[in-house]
Amino acid sequence: MAGQRQAFSGMRGIAPVPTYVVMQPTTLCNLDCAYCYLPFRSDDRKMPAEVAAAVAGAVNEWSAAGRFSVVWHGGEPLATGRERFAELLAPFDPGVEHHVQTNATLIDERWCEFFAAHEIRVSVSVDGPRERNAERVTRGGRPSYDRIMGGIEALRRHGIGFSALCVVARPEPGLATELYQYFLDLECDVLGINIEELEGVNARSNARDPVAVAGFWSELVGAWRRDPRIHVREVEWSLRYAAAVLDGTADEVLPRQLDPIPTIGYDGSVVLLSPELAGFTDPQYADFSSGNVLSSPLPEIIAGAAASTPWVAEFLSGVEACRATCAYFGFCGGAHAANRYFEHGRFDGTETDHCRNSKIHLLEGVLDHARDHEPPQASRRGAGGSG
Amino acid sequence: MPETTSHHKPRGGEREDRDDGSSDPLAQRVHDARAGLTVLLTEAEEARRQRAEAAPTDSGAVCAWNHFENIPTFYNWNNRPR
Repeated sequence: MAGQRQAFSGMRGIAPVPTYVVMQPTTLCNLDCAYCYLPFRSDDRKMPAEVAAAVAGAVNEWSAAGRFSVVWHGGEPLATGRERFAELLAPFDPGVEHHVQTNATLIDERWCEFFAAHEIRVSVSVDGPRERNAERVTRGGRPSYDRIMGGIEALRRHGIGFSALCVVARPEPGLATELYQYFLDLECDVLGINIEELEGVNARSNARDPVAVAGFWSELVGAWRRDPRIHVREVEWSLRYAAAVLDGTADEVLPRQLDPIPTIGYDGSVVLLSPELAGFTDPQYADFSSGNVLSSPLPEIIAGAAASTPWVAEFLSGVEACRATCAYFGFCGGAHAANRYFEHGRFDGTETDHCRNSKIHLLEGVLDHARDHEPPQASRRGAGGSG
Repeated sequence: MPETTSHHKPRGGEREDRDDGSSDPLAQRVHDARAGLTVLLTEAEEARRQRAEAAPTDSGAVCAWNHFENIPTFYNWNNRPR
């Protein structure tokens, strides 16, 4: 049972081998969403084939030892075009798992055939029903929803399953139920919900009312358990942690080391830990990169980052500060690097608004829901003081 | 889903975890919610089975959560891209 606060042993240092890499095949995005964090998204800077080949050298070795993913992010990865995209995929072994995170607006019959031919897993970014996508607009400022749905309908026609990422700007009563029903109707397999973040070129505050945020997550659990066909990332991970606390295995939840998650920019530059930092510069931290795959092997870049990249060392001390001060460390593993930097201006601070919105009040919301939905027998026991 | 059986004050705005490490109020809150969580965890397990995400029988209880074969690995929890 609960006594002295649990000590957590995971997340010590950076693992030498990642579980996936993020690739930026182009900086360009055909949309101009109001909350987007990406710089240069109006520029079309495409990744040359040499960069993909350099990454594939390491990835092919890693994938031989177990499941390994390449996430084609962006910009909008489909803005790369199929011909260039195929060139970038070519050096990877067949065992490597490919994913795209796409706004779906460019998906058509030929892209669906491309996904099938290359066994690419698809995740779409959509924020719920039409009226919830007002900030997802074209470069001309026009709504993008019909084009998003056109892409999703193409996926359905081809029987291609997909995941979805949804950004929530303002948690409010009723929203979680509305969104979950929407994604049930959309027939996605997996759902991740991101409370909007102050990050990158998006300088809008993400401070939110704690009760509203916890209420949003609590309501989402209620909506989910009425028809739990979708794997909801936030629900699954909260339950995973709660189960481990109940079982006395909470210290086994976190990975032993931080996943380096290398993001490979269009030009081959490598930024570890937080893809959101790619493309930014700072007088103190320079361009946040730890090297370039065109001049150094990716494993060497990862192995040397903690010693050679000052912000990475500062971040690791920040992780230790989280471990020492935050009761939620075993659930969260420490504030994300980009959230620390964009909220605090440095990497060794601790709790961020993102922590509060997407970790702390998430877990508390799930616990609120569980406490409010005890089976009747347990509820009676609790009322009698013996539970 | 069980009916609402009680209405606790939401804890989001009144956390008490900034302590000196001599107590563990978060763990206590999890244990206090055991009855409701147990039902929820049973439902989640069944939902995973229905979604063909059931864990292999030879893997440990905790690490099995990392092996949903049809879940994109980049939908991970720590430092995930968005």
